[in-house]
Amino acid sequence: MPTSSNNEVLMELSGVRKTFGTIEVLHGIDLQITKGSHAVIFGPSGSGKSTVLRCMNLLEEPDVGSIKFLGNEYGPGSGRKEDGKRGKSIDLRRKVGMVFQQFNLFPHLSAIDNLALPYRAVRGGSVHEAQERAAHELNKVGLLKFAANYPSQLSGGQQQRVAIARALSLDPELMLFDEPTSALDPELVGEVLAVMRELAETGMTMVVVTHEMNFAREIGDLNVFMEAGNIVATGGSDFFENCTNQRAQEFIGSVL
Amino acid sequence: MMRREEEGVAPINFMWHLVWDFKWDLLKGLLTAVNVSIAALILSMVIGMLFALARMSRFKVFSIFASVYVNIFRGIPALVSVIWVYFGWSLLFGHNFTVYQAGVIALTLLYSSFFCEIFRSALQAIHKGQREAGMALGLTRGRIFRSIMLPQATKIAIPNIGSMYIGMIKDTSTFAIIGMVEVVRVTQNLNSTYFQPFVLYTAAAGLYVVIAFLVDFIFRNAELNFSYPPQGRLAKFLSRKKKKRIEGLMKST
Repeated sequence: MPTSSNNEVLMELSGVRKTFGTIEVLHGIDLQITKGSHAVIFGPSGSGKSTVLRCMNLLEEPDVGSIKFLGNEYGPGSGRKEDGKRGKSIDLRRKVGMVFQQFNLFPHLSAIDNLALPYRAVRGGSVHEAQERAAHELNKVGLLKFAANYPSQLSGGQQQRVAIARALSLDPELMLFDEPTSALDPELVGEVLAVMRELAETGMTMVVVTHEMNFAREIGDLNVFMEAGNIVATGGSDFFENCTNQRAQEFIGSVL
Repeated sequence: MMRREEEGVAPINFMWHLVWDFKWDLLKGLLTAVNVSIAALILSMVIGMLFALARMSRFKVFSIFASVYVNIFRGIPALVSVIWVYFGWSLLFGHNFTVYQAGVIALTLLYSSFFCEIFRSALQAIHKGQREAGMALGLTRGRIFRSIMLPQATKIAIPNIGSMYIGMIKDTSTFAIIGMVEVVRVTQNLNSTYFQPFVLYTAAAGLYVVIAFLVDFIFRNAELNFSYPPQGRLAKFLSRKKKKRIEGLMKST
């Protein structure tokens, strides 16, 4: 597994807090994602894993704290002016791809148009260019022959691969995966993980929230264990063998 | 049982030929009803969509205004509405609407409130992941609405739009009171000459029923064409070219 050659930080979360109603679900998250790294976030349900991920592309706006990405700062920030210029959330989202647990393909569009419509909306150009690019990306996830199919005509695994291709067609700098295999039949999990594994090998920066511990152990070079809105333990690729945090050990022991 | 003649009542003489004799008048009345209701349908859908967006708006002023509007106008009968517009407004503004204009405005006032509710529920029925996927891809709010929400909401709303439209056509019958020469007015005129209420109003009812069947057929077809993947003939015909292009891309990639 290639590790990042340089230590350039691509995204940095500092002191991110998030409250839903009266309940604070993130109690100040600090996290650095270096370019080319594959971060895995795991932990029990309700620990705030998905919320952290959703803050990374501003689907949830942090209530406190800042997110730095490609020289811009997002979120309410630390209040210091020198932190960096404020970015627009739409600019961040165009450089951060997201894959959802429920795929969220557009049911009224064929597989190829699921890719071509956003591509054209973001990049402009002709329908033909957009579809060419879409066909190229579908081919990479092995679904070119299903290009004309609608999401309802695809299996869960195929839909998730289309969703991955859709995110990749916009050339993201960072890919976020929110439990990408949790809604799949067990026999379909493998094909999605295979696509993600291939993507990891190309050096794409990835942040993955998952319960697939074997996959996490395989690709994770930054492992983050969360519980009750806090990052409890972090570690490198040897985390699963050499983790010293007792709570994290217990969790790993119970799911592996 | 006594025969009608013995009671001193005139024998029943159904003059069914009247329907055939005045077919063009009846059909012209029907055409007027369809004309007014289609104009009102288009306007109500546009205004109803704006009200639906206002009702779901973050800004309280818009949402309160929209919900007050809906609750007032969906409670007013068409007969009251059209008299109010035709006679009331002319007193208030000193402007006389034509019968046609008054009919369209009266229907639009009422039905835009129904369409507001239909579109609101359709938009809210779309899974929130759809919106989030659009946002995550960096699409603008306008683009998400146009390309993702609207097509899906339309599909959900189609059956309801169909039944609303049947209601609109039926409500045009009340416009006889302001003198619009639609189906009921034509029937009333013929009846005052020939006194054949059973024959004439059966014909009128028949015309409304035929239109209702036709509308049902059209909207069922629309639903098919809006299903995923499109099932209707029209959609299949329109997507032929698209399919060829995708096949071409599949070969070249």
